[in-house]
Amino acid sequence: MRADADVRAAVRDTVWARLRSVARPDSRFHWDFSSFVADFADSERCVDRLRALPAWSRSRLLFITPDNSTELVRRAAMADGKPFVMTTYGMRRGFLALDPQDVPHTDHSYAATLDGMDRYARPVSLSDIGQADHIGLLITGGSAVNPRGHRMGKGHGYFDLEWALLSEIGAVDESSEIADVVHDCQLVDVDLAPAAHDVPVDWIITPTRTVQVSSSGRAPGRVVWDLLGGTRLASLPPVMELAALQGRELSPCTTTMVRSPARRPDHCGDVPAVLLPPQHSRG
Amino acid sequence: MPPSFGRTLYGQVAEQLEALALAGPLGEETVLPPEWALAEQLGVSRGTVRRAMGDLEDRGLLRREAGRGTFVNPAARLRRVVWRRLAEVARPDSRFGLDFASFIPDFAGSEQCTESVADLPEYRSSRSVMVTPDNNLEGLRRRVLADGKRMLVCTYALARGLVLLDGRTVATADRPLAATLDGMERFGPALSYRQLCAMGRIDLVVTGAAAVTREGVHFGKGHGYFDIEWGLLSEIGLVGPDTPVVASAHGCQVVDEPVPHEVFDATVDVIVTPQEIIRCPGLGKPAGLFWDRLPREFADSRPYFAELRAARTLHRGAA
Repeated sequence: MRADADVRAAVRDTVWARLRSVARPDSRFHWDFSSFVADFADSERCVDRLRALPAWSRSRLLFITPDNSTELVRRAAMADGKPFVMTTYGMRRGFLALDPQDVPHTDHSYAATLDGMDRYARPVSLSDIGQADHIGLLITGGSAVNPRGHRMGKGHGYFDLEWALLSEIGAVDESSEIADVVHDCQLVDVDLAPAAHDVPVDWIITPTRTVQVSSSGRAPGRVVWDLLGGTRLASLPPVMELAALQGRELSPCTTTMVRSPARRPDHCGDVPAVLLPPQHSRG
Repeated sequence: MPPSFGRTLYGQVAEQLEALALAGPLGEETVLPPEWALAEQLGVSRGTVRRAMGDLEDRGLLRREAGRGTFVNPAARLRRVVWRRLAEVARPDSRFGLDFASFIPDFAGSEQCTESVADLPEYRSSRSVMVTPDNNLEGLRRRVLADGKRMLVCTYALARGLVLLDGRTVATADRPLAATLDGMERFGPALSYRQLCAMGRIDLVVTGAAAVTREGVHFGKGHGYFDIEWGLLSEIGLVGPDTPVVASAHGCQVVDEPVPHEVFDATVDVIVTPQEIIRCPGLGKPAGLFWDRLPREFADSRPYFAELRAARTLHRGAA
């Protein structure tokens, strides 16, 4: 266990050192790669490659992580008229959904940033997402990924948790595909010793190549409640919502101080059209 | 197992002590009762009180002096009192949520502030405006670009220095993106020290605030960034005592009580809220940086300060 953690830490350090020459600093976190997933040179070429995936065309609803490296993916989704679900940074304010029909063309570039998305995306609960269209393609960024599709993010386990939450609510299933958007320097040929809840990806998309991972062997995503209990993740709104839906007692966060609770979005009566069940969606 | 902060006895004591500390008059340094008296009053052990105090001290609210007592930091109290009001009207930050110690939030009504600032004679006559990277000024940054002015913006925490955007060259469709922290550096690369020195006078400075008094004493997030930014620009000669400084804030951030200010505080001349335009008496502004207050690691990891220090040394040597 200790050795695996060391390997992952070493891989992260190596990749982060490489990234410095091709990545762009974050507007707030500067070069602190443990706080954000960086955008990098030529990331627009990843977008072209993503658009060429059958799952991009097929998927009526996408999921896109709030990484800097996926900003252009969000812009492309709007340009292609594809609604998408995303999380707020660190899932602290849960999920958002963005319907491109709500965004004027001139504001696509703005709405694609983390700073701008709040103006156009709407807060949605996990149940809202569960009643919406099936998510056929999930797009994430990360720190490093190996040819077997095992990836590492910033190191907080957000994507694995997002996948688990979306699985439990029925928004994704075994037919959903996952694409990891990274720079070539983030590809590593190292056994990352994934844990049972680590989610392998189907596609690795870099500016220069599209790699399809053979038989990623993904088990259905399940929230590992034993691991969550008592951690900071246990106090995230969607986690608390799922626990309530499943009638679970969730031991509250005990590791760090919980700040005064952010106002929870009121989900009643304001569900974006894109997330309504098919019979209610606009024609 | 680490202790739980929320529900433990110690957590409750910390909460009560915080309430006690915040109840004092804004702007004044007050002293808390001694440890033993608090322990008696709250019916807990002195150890519990001591630990809770330690927590509040770590968070900057209290200052303990051996043999003298426990003091409430007036600036920290003022921020916390205002932050509680602000939570009702603030818009969360894209990264920091509602952690007001990390950013200055946008709020309901900031659009009106943008209009009011744009109506000020100081704004209308300006050609170059310095705008801080606060979230409530995003709309104003759009406006400055739309009005074809030159806009100097600090990167967050001055990490990559200052960027200069020219409203005449940023395309209309790019303005919304260029006005965000996420987007601005794509339209104006960070200036080198030389470029900064050569950019010419700044006609107006607009800042956000965690809190501001009616007299013009400005409180930021608590890191002193605005004082440093002002000091930096005044050392270079881009701003001076006559450069007007406007603070844009929500009404709940304006504090009526006068609060003493220090020589290193960059005070403001005008306060704009969604309801009001307040002309302040003009408390004066520092003419340069207070180097002894500038943390070494801050200066060493930021652009400009090394060159500035070298320039000062040279200047002094020549004099």
